[in-house]
Amino acid sequence: MADLAPTEITALAAILGELDYYQLFHLRYDAKPSDIKRAYHATSRVFHPDSNRHHQPEIRRAIDEISKRISEAYSILRNPRRRTAYDQQITAKAGVRMQLAEAEAAGSRKQTEAREGRTPQGRQYFNLASANLRQGDFDSAVRNLQTAVAFEPDNAFFKEQLAQARKKWDAKRP
Amino acid sequence: MPERAIGIDLGTSNSCVAIREGDTTTVLANTYGERTTASVVFFQEGGSISVGNAARAGLIHDPIRTIASAKRLMGRFYGSEEVKKAQAICSYKIAEGDSHGVVIEIGDEQFTVPEISAMILREMKTVAETQIGESISKAVITVPAYFNDNQRQATKDAGRIAGLEVLRILNEPTAAALAYGFGKGLNQKVAVWDLGGGTFDISILEIGDDVFEVLATCGDTFLGGDDFDDRVIDLLADEFLSKHNIRLRNDPFAFEKLKVAAEGAKRALSTEDDVEIRIPDVIAGPDGQPLSIERTLTTGEYAKLVHDLIQRTFVVCDAALAQAGEVARDLDGVILVGGPTRLPLIRDAVSQYFQQELKSDVDPDEVVAIGAAIFATSLVNPTSDDAFLLDVTPLSLRIGVAGGLAESIIERNTPVPIEQTRRFTTFKDYQESVDIRVYQGESRNAQENELLGQFMFSGFEKARRGEVSIDITFEINVDGIVEVKAKDVSTGEQASTRITLSAGLSEGDIESIIQSQRTDRVASTLSQPTQGGRPAHTDEALAPDQALQPVEGAKPKTKSVKSKPTLMGDDLLPESDDLLEREGLEDVKLTPAAIDPTPGGKITAVDEDLTITAPTLDEPDAKELEEELFERPGTDLEGPGDDETKA
Ligand SMILES: Nc1ncnc2c1ncn2[C@@H]1O[C@H](COP(=O)(O)OP(=O)(O)OP(=O)(O)O)[C@@H](O)[C@H]1O
Ligand SMILES: [Mg+2]
Repeated sequence: MADLAPTEITALAAILGELDYYQLFHLRYDAKPSDIKRAYHATSRVFHPDSNRHHQPEIRRAIDEISKRISEAYSILRNPRRRTAYDQQITAKAGVRMQLAEAEAAGSRKQTEAREGRTPQGRQYFNLASANLRQGDFDSAVRNLQTAVAFEPDNAFFKEQLAQARKKWDAKRP
Repeated sequence: MPERAIGIDLGTSNSCVAIREGDTTTVLANTYGERTTASVVFFQEGGSISVGNAARAGLIHDPIRTIASAKRLMGRFYGSEEVKKAQAICSYKIAEGDSHGVVIEIGDEQFTVPEISAMILREMKTVAETQIGESISKAVITVPAYFNDNQRQATKDAGRIAGLEVLRILNEPTAAALAYGFGKGLNQKVAVWDLGGGTFDISILEIGDDVFEVLATCGDTFLGGDDFDDRVIDLLADEFLSKHNIRLRNDPFAFEKLKVAAEGAKRALSTEDDVEIRIPDVIAGPDGQPLSIERTLTTGEYAKLVHDLIQRTFVVCDAALAQAGEVARDLDGVILVGGPTRLPLIRDAVSQYFQQELKSDVDPDEVVAIGAAIFATSLVNPTSDDAFLLDVTPLSLRIGVAGGLAESIIERNTPVPIEQTRRFTTFKDYQESVDIRVYQGESRNAQENELLGQFMFSGFEKARRGEVSIDITFEINVDGIVEVKAKDVSTGEQASTRITLSAGLSEGDIESIIQSQRTDRVASTLSQPTQGGRPAHTDEALAPDQALQPVEGAKPKTKSVKSKPTLMGDDLLPESDDLLEREGLEDVKLTPAAIDPTPGGKITAVDEDLTITAPTLDEPDAKELEEELFERPGTDLEGPGDDETKA
């Protein structure tokens, strides 16, 4: 059971605003889903209101804040889409907290961006390549996809399309 | 001496109480030796009230004074579909109460639903006290996992009226999983399939090292054994109509007889292949001669009658599994809970759906109370080998926005406790208030969700547009109960006001019910350690208006947050309807109610200015208002949590 000293609880509550979710869970930034779950269980056991009923009201208020943050952290980190959005936010030093609705919105925005392209040029060359693919013109498709990837080097979807087009092109080549 | 606390399964049909002492958890039987007690309250002519199995007699003899299945009405609004359905199957009178709630009319008395439930809870408390021989005040009370905030709040209120300190509102399937897996050191993923008298719940849990994590929960708060009975009642009533041209459903006495017969038939079919239904003298014929019903019902026929009801549960299971990211046949076990799961028909269907054998080492009637008792004890006497529960919120929490839509703030199956904050800013110069609606449910269409409450945040400093910021914080606690706090950021007004969104009883209502002792008249066959035989009521004590009147000075439809008379009555919320308007995902606007501020009378931004108005159930007026509040752009850049951590 929680043998936490009240001072440990208040100390954590005091720095809650500075900890990112990984720090809160004592996790590395490349933590696996199973690590995240384990950390969620372990941290919850210590800071859950159920484990801390015996404390004074002031301490219990601190516990409430911590345990709510734990649920929030888990809700973000356990969902790959939300986690990606969150990782970007903390990399950009744009705050350690992320509201769930925001993470959802960012997640789905990212997905559409990946599919359609984030830059006008990326989109343009990707659309050209799609037309090439439909016509079976793999040579041009590969060229246009290469250009699209040049504009959006981090677009995994474009890269995957490029790899596939290359394969088809190779297969067709005499 | 360790502290004692009981676990109560407050069921639609039956309630059960258990206690854990040392290493054993015991179901406590009533004086009839029965381990479950009927959730029935009978208001006898003359004023005394009986509860439990003794009250069952009332179902036949005096159906309009006998309340069964009251749980179906808990936390419901009078105009809701659920209440209409209940009216169709209940003989007692269900009427509209304050705040669009429900009251039950017995003669010229009115009782709120939490009061009826309180009588049952008090009976369970008495059962426990009689068995244990000492008084008990702490309890964990279970609710269907799919209960919304209003229903949970109503249950908690019932506990308080019954003189209990409610340690926790616990989800029934979670309790069942706890009873199943506690202390066994399991590492399993299980489903709890719980079909009771009135509700269906499915929860998917992961049990590992005595941590019970709910992965997903789904349900239907209006599907249970009662509905199965209704199918048989329909069959019998229809056949009777074509044979005798008499509508049995219109006669409360005949209807109750049908109900008893239908329920009995169902029970019989849990052990037999067919059953002989016999209702002598169901009603008098045109010449006064007694007419009767006699008919054989086979399992095959019954299966057809209830087929779609069983299928409905699987649609819910599909959703729960999808949310949990699990596949039925990969689960390590399926736990069946609830009386109807004794039907082979149901067991087979469930086993087939999950593609596996069912766990048979749990008692479907007692497992929930046992889990509640285990948990109650761990809360009052924590030890190192306690089970530890991580539960979720069953329904998405939403805020109303324009065009009749509702944006999700906290998605369903998010672990609790949780808190989320959104910042809003005024759109118009000198704007003084904003009206906010909070919903629970899965639809983007506001009206298809349950309206938990509506409150007005007002009294901003006189300021130009954009200069006033309000943080609205939505919190769901470990009981699954919702609270909303609003804070005026701009004025530096640090008063962060907590608003409990309860459509039901206010603090004042509960206090006055407790004081009136109107729920204490139970003439139980059990000894009553606390109240003894209460004298018959006096008229004043029972005058419904008086007992249920909220805080003095407040109009019945408006509850003030503090017990001070509110400054803003209904009159300030004229056609308040459509306050909230939406444009694009990033750009939620709130339009305040069309309020004409009192000339000169500045309303200051203090706690007392916040009012919660009972939700108006009318269609929101879609007309767009000019005054608006914008969600502040760039909130994310400032870090939504900043203010809070400073506080
Ligand atoms: N042997 C049986 N066979 C079939 N059905 C039964 C049997 N025993 C009880 N039932 C039915 O089970 C239902 C009551 O189940 P249960 O006591 O589990 O519900 P509850 O806990 O009161 O309700 P809920 O959990 O929905 O609030 C009733 O509809 C009753 O007719
Ligand atoms: Mg039940």
